Amino acid sequence: MTSANPALRHQVKRIYKELLYMGKDFPQGYDYFRTRLHKAFMSQQHIDDEEKIKKGIERAEFVRKEIEALYFLKKYRTLRHTYDKF
Amino acid sequence: MFSRTIPRFARQIARAAPRYQTPIARPVARPSLFQPKQTAPSTYFQAIRCYASGGGLSQDEVQGRIMDLLKNFDKVQDTSKLNGESHFHNDLGLDSLDTVEVVMAIEEEFSIEIPDKEADAIHSVKQAVDYILAQPDGKTAL
Repeated sequence: MTSANPALRHQVKRIYKELLYMGKDFPQGYDYFRTRLHKAFMSQQHIDDEEKIKKGIERAEFVRKEIEALYFLKKYRTLRHTYDKF
Repeated sequence: MFSRTIPRFARQIARAAPRYQTPIARPVARPSLFQPKQTAPSTYFQAIRCYASGGGLSQDEVQGRIMDLLKNFDKVQDTSKLNGESHFHNDLGLDSLDTVEVVMAIEEEFSIEIPDKEADAIHSVKQAVDYILAQPDGKTAL
């Protein structure tokens, strides 16, 4: 995986780690998240074009933000649900 | 001359023997009388030493904890190959992403944070144990 450039390899591992940390509180459970994430990353294993790898890292960054947004939304909904009983 | 030295030697042994007798060799009733006296000082010292003694982790403990962690890691199928020298990729069949996960689990187990650079260098059980022991809180094997 991304054997061409050690710096990029590093970045991929870092984002993978960050995503794993995010996944600890995933609604469907950590194991669900972990297997999916692993599969998603492994499916991109063959890519060796640096530009494409950078694109992939950006995509991972995007996913990370999406998950963050999901958590905020969940928190907001929970809070709202506890405060206004409708 | 030889016949005279042997009895003398035997007497010496007989005299010396009680001193070297272990508690196991003594009659049953006596150890119970002597044991409290013998053990009391050591426990007393231990209670004092608890606060400032060099606790830390022993190599066996670190290795045991890492092995337990790997045993419970679902992607390690072949636990028979798991030992103190196992390589994550070659022996346990983990890919680079699994290695990241293992390192994360180790971080959690020992409540430390391993910087990316060091984390990248960990590829086997032995390297992980060495890294943990090299930490300020870890006790290097004497």
